[in-house]
Amino acid sequence: MPSLRLDGRRIEIHDGDTIAAAAFRAGVRTFSRSLKAHRRRGLYCGTGDCANCLVTVDGLPGERACVTAAADAMRVERETGWPSADRDVLAINDRLHRLMPVGFYYKVFARPRWLWPIAERVIRRATGTGTLPLRATAERTPTRFVRVRTLVVGGGVAGLAAAATAAADGSVLLADEGSLGATVTLPAARAAIARLTTEARAAGAEILERHAAIGIYEGPSAALLGANELVEVEAEHVVVATGALEAHGVFPGNDLPGVWLGRGAARMAAIHGVSLGDHVVVVANTDDGDDLAGAVRGTDADVTLVAGRVLEARGARQITSATVLTPDGRRAFACDALVLSLGWAPRDTLLRMTAEPEVVGAGDVVRPGCSLAEAEASGRAAARGDAAEARDADTWPIAEDDGYVCVCEDVSMHDLEQAWDEGWTSSEILKRYTTATMGPCQGALCSRHLADHARAKGATPAARGRTTARPPVRGPRLGELTGGVHEQVERRTALHDRHVAAGARIDHSGVWLRPGTYGDVDVEIRAVRERVSVMDVSSLGKFLVTGRDARALLDRVFPLDVGTLAPGRARYLLALDEAGYVMDDGLLAASGDGSFFLTSTSGGADRMEAWLRNWIDRLNLHVHVINQTAQLGAINVAGPHARDLLATLTDDDLSRGALPYPGHADITVAGVPCRAIAVGFVGELSFELHHPRGRSVELWDALVAAGAAWDLRPHGLDALDVLRLEKGHVYLTQDTMPDDHPAKLGLGWAIAKDKDEFVGKRALERMNALPLERRLVGLRFDGAPERGHPLTVEDAIIGRITSCAISRAAGGAVGLGWLRAIDGVFPNVLRAGDVVATVSPTPFYDPDGVRLRA
Amino acid sequence: MPEVRDRLVGIIVCAADPAALDRLVAPGHGARTLRVAPDETMAVVSPEFTEDLRRELGDRVAALDPDALVVDVSDGWAAVALVGDDADHAASYLSALEPPAGEGFAQGDVARVAAKILREREGLLVLVPAYWHEHLRSRATEAARAAEARG
Repeated sequence: MPSLRLDGRRIEIHDGDTIAAAAFRAGVRTFSRSLKAHRRRGLYCGTGDCANCLVTVDGLPGERACVTAAADAMRVERETGWPSADRDVLAINDRLHRLMPVGFYYKVFARPRWLWPIAERVIRRATGTGTLPLRATAERTPTRFVRVRTLVVGGGVAGLAAAATAAADGSVLLADEGSLGATVTLPAARAAIARLTTEARAAGAEILERHAAIGIYEGPSAALLGANELVEVEAEHVVVATGALEAHGVFPGNDLPGVWLGRGAARMAAIHGVSLGDHVVVVANTDDGDDLAGAVRGTDADVTLVAGRVLEARGARQITSATVLTPDGRRAFACDALVLSLGWAPRDTLLRMTAEPEVVGAGDVVRPGCSLAEAEASGRAAARGDAAEARDADTWPIAEDDGYVCVCEDVSMHDLEQAWDEGWTSSEILKRYTTATMGPCQGALCSRHLADHARAKGATPAARGRTTARPPVRGPRLGELTGGVHEQVERRTALHDRHVAAGARIDHSGVWLRPGTYGDVDVEIRAVRERVSVMDVSSLGKFLVTGRDARALLDRVFPLDVGTLAPGRARYLLALDEAGYVMDDGLLAASGDGSFFLTSTSGGADRMEAWLRNWIDRLNLHVHVINQTAQLGAINVAGPHARDLLATLTDDDLSRGALPYPGHADITVAGVPCRAIAVGFVGELSFELHHPRGRSVELWDALVAAGAAWDLRPHGLDALDVLRLEKGHVYLTQDTMPDDHPAKLGLGWAIAKDKDEFVGKRALERMNALPLERRLVGLRFDGAPERGHPLTVEDAIIGRITSCAISRAAGGAVGLGWLRAIDGVFPNVLRAGDVVATVSPTPFYDPDGVRLRA
Repeated sequence: MPEVRDRLVGIIVCAADPAALDRLVAPGHGARTLRVAPDETMAVVSPEFTEDLRRELGDRVAALDPDALVVDVSDGWAAVALVGDDADHAASYLSALEPPAGEGFAQGDVARVAAKILREREGLLVLVPAYWHEHLRSRATEAARAAEARG
């Protein structure tokens, strides 16, 4: 016979068993320990609604034993109690409850503050709600998107009737967390479900079994969690037909093992054939009493059926007696199981997540305890848009004495009373203070009691409502939650495979994958400074700007003087926002046909495009912007022999007159049409070759092959970081802050001050009239500094290092860093830990720019 | 299981006054013309017709808007086709977008990146900026497997 292991003990499995059924049949009564008091908790709802039977299955915590099918060789562990759930030394907490009053976290750990982190760790271990399998590899759950006219949640009578009716008017998807009808014990209900399933399928409704709706969102849309997929559904209408469960009774001893809610008890007896005990008392104030008693009697138990109010239950390891106030008076029963059907609690968590009129309820969820005929009519009406008003159940157990209101969080009536007396006088604030409704069942059992308590205490209508419900209804796994959103979407240049083949270390540079180094950063730097090198700069933002108003647009939005930018020339470009802060930088090149080619930083391309289009609309100009970032590759050829190298691959004129710095020209290199731009970011003679992306590999290979004559070595981001630093060039975001205007960065020279207008001009004028409180400066160090290290003067922190490197070309350690003025004066000598930093003018290398104009 | 195929396509972008684009009669060559913005049209064609299409489109739109811009941007796009009866099902693992029913197109988020979806005779064609080619191909392959697993 197949079997599972529960805490190492072998337990036989019968056909159709859940874990709970198999374990209960084998005599297991304590399935968990409560959160604070470590009281015994047994099977209670039997329908997956409460958290009493959470177990770890094959290493995965938080599985509900009562609705999880048992399987051969399954390893099941109870999650709470030490050394075991049956014998838990922390059960002593139940006798020390006076030391843990409601809100004791806030009271006990307010001071000293250092104690809280320690206490938190201890409490976390003591409460025990399963252990995450940190070493396990998370399996990503596939996400599927579905769009339907009507989504029906719940495959009972009302839900199936809604699906069958709605299918006449359009697509319908019905989702049920289990198998249709599998847990229904009443013959009439089973027959109705079978009939309506046939009708719904015949009408074209798609039925997804074992898919639980875990949330409803704006749209409306819903998330369905299946065994192997997450389904995101967009629907025009949603019918929630999630039914009802028996109301949670609150009385002393209500949490003892052996106290059951009716339908769960009936399932255990009628479906799994498991006897609840020898002497079972069924207390039913609903119409289900006879059916429940009949189901339990089927296992040869001695059953007593009464109506009334349960006054208390008694027992130690499990219930041994119950006292009920019946119409005939107070009666005490010796029993080993107490089955409750005291009223109905709608399973309305999904409905309480949204106020969208397209989401309606049907059946028990809005008419708790309704008949089968009423449920079917309600479902058909909901499908036609004729939603039923929600109403309370006819019967409801009043919690008047003590007993556990929230079994997940160990919150008793006494706790609610005490919290109220302390001034927490609304249902929402009671929830936050006591944590009632905040456990794994999300208030399925207790939220109504919380609202009732506030009402009984005289709270205003606004302060006695049901607490807000939020997704997820069921606890999904992290892999399920991240289904479809796990990935870091990476952009690759056309040369990616070439870099990998060359042994490059590939780094994440914003959204791009780019080579960090090909092995030896010093070799790469020396290639640029002494010979020739190439770098893949395809990630740069690239834009073609055309149209009769192109020049007017660029002149209006950028602070450089576009009016005097001659065809064939290029200029450094700063982009400012309306507050005058530096948003991006790049290069602007003018062409003879009146169009412009604009580059931006790699990370700023998307924003640049949106920003330009926005200004075109705002200024109502006739300009076209084509984002060529994906279309064009770009390779920077840099070094004193850059021109020599290109000359071997082109017949075009590369002289300073034809291709000046900073300027550009259309040339053909190794047969590849290129826009060559003379640039100077690395401080050497450099040409960016912008070319069709599809020919990047061909161009790269030709450059590398021809460059062998000069021992060409490609360089990556690590080398670039040093090379640009030697020139004192800033990396936006690394060296800058969001509120930097050009003067703070020493970039005031990039602003055409006599222009009438550009974006940010007014703000710049106001800021420039104020003394600088902070600025970015060049630094030389007498030792090895670290990026991010604070800069101090007499132990007062007045700045930090944003970039630094040991530079052969600059003759030592250099960097950039922020400084704050002290009494209006910027200090010149600072400390970065043990290292002395001296403010130094930039560039550190080739200050006159002779080399890049070579 | 739908087949995932890389596809070479020619893509021409035409930027012009909205009124000019409204009147523009697109050339033939089996091109699909997508109005991606009021002032921008994108034409998708077999690669062998790209240059012909660029030239003809340029001539036609110039008569309607002298400032119009026509650019061959084929290098900037990557196309991955989902081929087979299950193409739509596989696409549902990639995007909440509803694939177009006929000659139209859908644009938006596919596998977390900006994309356009076109209906083809044998399935669907997804276009993304070229730097996301590997990403799209990888996700499309996963989606095809997921669709097959679910049946």
